[in-house]
Amino acid sequence: MNGAQYIVQTLKQQGVTQIFGYPGGAIMPLYDALYDGGVDHLLCRHEQAAALGAVGYARASGQVGVCMATSGPGATNLITGLADAMLDSIPVVAITGQVPMAAIGTDAFQEVDVLGMSLSCTKHSYLVENVEDLGDIIAEAFEVARSGRPGPVLIDVPKNIQVAPVEPRATVPCTTAPNTLDEAALAEAKALLAAARQPVLYVGGGVGMANAEAELRAFAEQSGIPAVTTLKGIGTLNPDHELFLGMLGMHGTKAANLAVQQSDLLMVVGARFDDRVTGKLDAFAVNARVIHLDKDAAEFGKVRHAHVGIDAELTEVLPRLTGERLAIDPWREQCRALKDEHQWRYDHPGEGIFAPLMLKQLSEALDDTAMVSCDVGQHQMWVAQHMRFTSPRNHLSSAGLGTMGFGLPAAIGAKLARPEHESVLVSGDGSFMMNVQELGTLKRAQLPVKMVLLDNQRLGMVRQWQELFFDGRFSETILTDNPDFVAMAAAFGIPGETITRKEQVQPAIARMLQSDTAYLLHVRISEEENVWPLVPPGVANDQMMESKA
Amino acid sequence: MNQHNLQIEAQFRPEVLERVLRMTRHRGFRVDDMEMSTSADCQNLNIRVTVSSERPIQLLSNQLAKLMNVTRVEAHIMEQPLKKSA
Ligand SMILES: Cc1ncc(C[n+]2csc(CCOP(=O)(O)OP(=O)(O)O)c2C)c(N)n1
Repeated sequence: MNGAQYIVQTLKQQGVTQIFGYPGGAIMPLYDALYDGGVDHLLCRHEQAAALGAVGYARASGQVGVCMATSGPGATNLITGLADAMLDSIPVVAITGQVPMAAIGTDAFQEVDVLGMSLSCTKHSYLVENVEDLGDIIAEAFEVARSGRPGPVLIDVPKNIQVAPVEPRATVPCTTAPNTLDEAALAEAKALLAAARQPVLYVGGGVGMANAEAELRAFAEQSGIPAVTTLKGIGTLNPDHELFLGMLGMHGTKAANLAVQQSDLLMVVGARFDDRVTGKLDAFAVNARVIHLDKDAAEFGKVRHAHVGIDAELTEVLPRLTGERLAIDPWREQCRALKDEHQWRYDHPGEGIFAPLMLKQLSEALDDTAMVSCDVGQHQMWVAQHMRFTSPRNHLSSAGLGTMGFGLPAAIGAKLARPEHESVLVSGDGSFMMNVQELGTLKRAQLPVKMVLLDNQRLGMVRQWQELFFDGRFSETILTDNPDFVAMAAAFGIPGETITRKEQVQPAIARMLQSDTAYLLHVRISEEENVWPLVPPGVANDQMMESKA
Repeated sequence: MNQHNLQIEAQFRPEVLERVLRMTRHRGFRVDDMEMSTSADCQNLNIRVTVSSERPIQLLSNQLAKLMNVTRVEAHIMEQPLKKSA
């Protein structure tokens, strides 16, 4: 057996059944080993999409996503996907080919110091120097990727290592020691909860990553604390619960932001006070004490002081805090009233399609198992605001990095992870073009991914900021020269249609969902529509701008 | 500007010093002084670094402690700043 075959064998031992990648010179031995190696590989049309496909797969399934690429340009193309995984704490293992050891450092053909390049956007990275180490390194890489705060890990494998003969041996099982719960901190947290008059539960993506939704919902239900989520926390809480106030932050709901601003205690679970969430930090929930629960202790006090920080598995610590119904009836009433007062409004003049309403209708046409991926921009915020999610694994949105081009590869990865569930993409005309070549991948793999393209002929979110904060100077955000998207999909063998008027929406959604192949629903919307409400930069979260209409 | 001494122990890997320095810079700390030595068996590294920043040192020490090959991080406030900040 050679190193490349050893890699495939070890990947199989790790339970890997699907890889996303793109071949090239320095990784050809590994592709040769894959040829009849018994692991499925999806040929993407760009390495960035391979990495983002692995991210989508990991997010939808909860498994480690795996991608691979050749040295040099292949590896550099992966980097954006790894950075995306890093900022959203997604477990991904990337394997890159490298020039032979003897050529490293000579500026050889397609040589790039990928290890050096990856240092800032992976949880850890390896350069394999001995073929015997391959098995242990891969096993360790998977453990690092999925344990603690999950994240991306890169393994750079020189070509000579891939072809070197090796005697496979059992890999050393790699485990991380469990933390013991800090009883004193737990008692302090309980005391803070009992003393609070206006507490809010602030839920991030860490809960889903830790598979702790059930424990979190039990805590929320028992304690009766009004709750909000971050963008990545969407789906974690029951969306229909009367005390669930929606997303907080820049494009959050008014109810969520007002409740957080008025709170005297924030119980932060698996979240990290991102600046898109806090707005002006000095003015964020100024009267609130903070209980912070996270698997990554380095988050405590990083941005906001935590009165109590508990570094523990959420599945363990949440049940220990569950039990008491808090005596906060007036606050509950106040939050319910906030929620009632600030409902979304879908009345909209004219014949044209109003994207928020269309997304609500799309959501109503899907069942609870459907996965929705989106790109970055206005449409992304409308998805977060107006679609209904019952699991964080069903809302695939590039939150931390905000990667345009994320949506299509993520939707492909999600469909491969859960073929029995609907995979829907909601994209913008700018973002769609960033990984449009993956229509080829979709066709190749015959995946029935449903694509809704909200076309405002603009880089909408940037245009909105130009309108509001740059005196309407629309510098390089006008895309009236977009291609004919339906014809373009057709060129890839994918059917679709264009709609422009309100009354076309429902039947078009039905046609799309009935299609048993991939489908592009091209939706023309007004270029003037903005995302509301909005916390302007440098302002407190209770100073939200709202639609003038 | 506060000055701190960090004592860092790490397993020897060719890139571990790079990891530590990258993290230090990126998290907003300036390296004022530094010493590094390798254990007799070449398996471990000892790094002593004096850093300065407006930020609390825990911000850096917690992140350094998370690095895979770093085994121990200790932070001490400097009694007497080595150099005046610019
Ligand atoms: C790779 C990348 N480049 C640039 C940006 C900055 N950016 C954020 S939103 C946006 C516009 C997105 O336009 P579109 O995809 O058409 O979506 P819309 O806002 O119109 O819904 C841009 C350029 C980004 N997030 N990612």
